[in-house]
Amino acid sequence: MAETPTCSCGQNEPKRIIFPCAGQANTGQLTNLAAIQLTEEGYGSIACASLLAIGAEGLVRSAKDVDEVLVLDGCPMICARKIAEAQGVPVGQHLIVTELGITKGSSKNFTNDDIEKIVAACWKGEGRKKDTAKPGKKSGGGNDSGCGCGCGGTC
Amino acid sequence: MIKIEILGTGCAKCKRLYANAGQAVKDLKITADVIKVGDLDEIVNRGVMLTPALFINGELVAEGRVPCVEEIVALLKE
Repeated sequence: MAETPTCSCGQNEPKRIIFPCAGQANTGQLTNLAAIQLTEEGYGSIACASLLAIGAEGLVRSAKDVDEVLVLDGCPMICARKIAEAQGVPVGQHLIVTELGITKGSSKNFTNDDIEKIVAACWKGEGRKKDTAKPGKKSGGGNDSGCGCGCGGTC
Repeated sequence: MIKIEILGTGCAKCKRLYANAGQAVKDLKITADVIKVGDLDEIVNRGVMLTPALFINGELVAEGRVPCVEEIVALLKE
């Protein structure tokens, strides 16, 4: 990020709000970091999914007024998407980190490539192309503790 | 051959647009020249006031924003 030239870009970008799930697992934490980078790059503004969950009027109104809401979920539990839907907020783009080839686990380690993978997917609009996973859908392999993410019960 | 130009000074949005254009070409399985134009004088001479800007075969199709891959694919099909 440090070597990136100062942005002199215009702001014809649609107005967006980004809700990261910010879950405790590595993938949840990655949604937060990706949302921060996306905000810095001018993609949209990060907002708190927890605040949305309690139905904060101002945030719900803003989320309904913007051009697009981006939801970043760490795993197929899709908590953030469920929160948005529970508040009647339409989700324009939805990405699940485990579906981008990042494995959910107990380690909090991550690389900059992991963040880049998520951020690039958002800019490309990958979360708009296909229907996203249904709640509890398995992302493939691993121990299943009922959450469907293969974490073996650590999430 | 289709000529795709990305006008911008090299900030994050310009890079994202360049990547999206490359992905769109790959998705369509077409041959195209994807060129970065970073020279400020040329950007201004082309009448672009907001970067990043996307030109397809010399025609301005997006300015001041980053179209997603799907949108660029649609623009290339036109």
